[in-house]
Amino acid sequence: MSDVTLKGSKDGFVVVIDDKSSFDDALAQLKNMIVEQTIGTQEDNTIQFTVKTGNRLFDNEQVQQIQTVFEKYPQIQLKRIESDVILKSESDQIIENNKINLETGIIRSGQKKEYKGDVIFLGTLHEGAQITTDGTIYLLGPVQGIVQAGFPDNTNAAIVGNLNGAAQYRIADVVEIVTEDDADKFQNFKFAHIDDMHTISVEDLKDYKEVINEVRKRTE
Amino acid sequence: MGISIVVTSGKGGVGKTTTTANVSTELASMGKKVCMVDLDIGLRNLDAFLGLTKRIVYDIVDVAQQRVVLSQALVRDPRFGDNLYLLAASQFSDKYVLDSNSVNTIIEYLKQRFDFVMIDCPAGIEYGFKNAVNSAEAALVVTNPEIASVSDSDRVVGILESLEMPITPHLVINRIRKNMINEGTSMKIEDIVNHLGIPLIGIIVDEDEVISSSNSGQTIVSNPESEAGRGYRNIARRMLGENVPLTLFEQPKKRGFMSRMFGRNN
Repeated sequence: MSDVTLKGSKDGFVVVIDDKSSFDDALAQLKNMIVEQTIGTQEDNTIQFTVKTGNRLFDNEQVQQIQTVFEKYPQIQLKRIESDVILKSESDQIIENNKINLETGIIRSGQKKEYKGDVIFLGTLHEGAQITTDGTIYLLGPVQGIVQAGFPDNTNAAIVGNLNGAAQYRIADVVEIVTEDDADKFQNFKFAHIDDMHTISVEDLKDYKEVINEVRKRTE
Repeated sequence: MGISIVVTSGKGGVGKTTTTANVSTELASMGKKVCMVDLDIGLRNLDAFLGLTKRIVYDIVDVAQQRVVLSQALVRDPRFGDNLYLLAASQFSDKYVLDSNSVNTIIEYLKQRFDFVMIDCPAGIEYGFKNAVNSAEAALVVTNPEIASVSDSDRVVGILESLEMPITPHLVINRIRKNMINEGTSMKIEDIVNHLGIPLIGIIVDEDEVISSSNSGQTIVSNPESEAGRGYRNIARRMLGENVPLTLFEQPKKRGFMSRMFGRNN
């Protein structure tokens, strides 16, 4: 059985490199296959290839070697190299970025707590204190300080909770100051998000799912 | 081995020095050996509250710079036998002559000899404050029922918590105006305690006598009639582990007009 298999798909050719093969053998077979494929093709009609490596990760040098094979022929193009596996450090990073932080306690005047990912905040945020994350913040306790979601530029982030007593709420780079006129605005629990005018809108929780899905679609 | 307690507040003028002086004298009159350390270098006044200014020969800067040994700089308060001493601040230096190391060393020495080392902290949260709180194992946070003071105390409690002292900071609410409490125009004591989230160890009502007695070098605790004095006495008793109930109005007996006029002479 060959180490390298060619398959067709909707968006071009897929080259599957058997993850149990030796890299050198596979590379040699890949070169042959490319030669076969390029015979008789026109230069103005580029064929796109995706290389799949299965349960194996190639290092930078190996990736470089594969890229070199494709670069020899102008009529073919390497779209990307895909693997079914990722590095542990990468997966840790993904978990870190997507985890929900559950926080209790008091954040006091002059203190600034910074997080990665979403935050469920059960504690108290005092006047002159700040809570900041790059994701969404769910507030269940009283807040008097500054609440910053989506720091520095994540416009998909939202703030859920009662912001009535807060000093300011911020999402990405948009800042809103809570004034005395806002008392009605935050009766009970609401959520704040960035709307398509790039300003902050405050809406009822019952619309949360719908609005957030729209927001995510917009920025995809 | 004694314990070092810093009296701090963040904001100035809320009653740190008054609290230091009163709690210390009460502890001393209850038989404990107490040393007060004034760390408000350049703006000393703990000595004046106790009427000890004239007795100061050397101060903490002299000790830190090894011009004299520690025992030479301790000023004894003759009213309390051998129980109450003061290590005065320097009036002629600025705060930068002391570093954290030398303050720590002095406090450690004092803890060998005294049951309580009460440190009067300067206002603010800068250099002098840091020296004071770094050398302490416990803290009394003095606050007034007003927004600026509570907010500054919040900041200070945050810093104290990050130091992870062996004993959590305790709260003293000072200058409570009874008429404002009765009219409902003052911040509520329980709101302040809930907000700051640290245990309350005492409340002190605002009285003119607190100022007039310190002007004459007397502490208010030595006045048995004074409600503020009773507040400070209760703090000292609680510090010694006594279970003294906290009542908002440690209500004085009703007194007639004449006795109010002349009450202090009784």
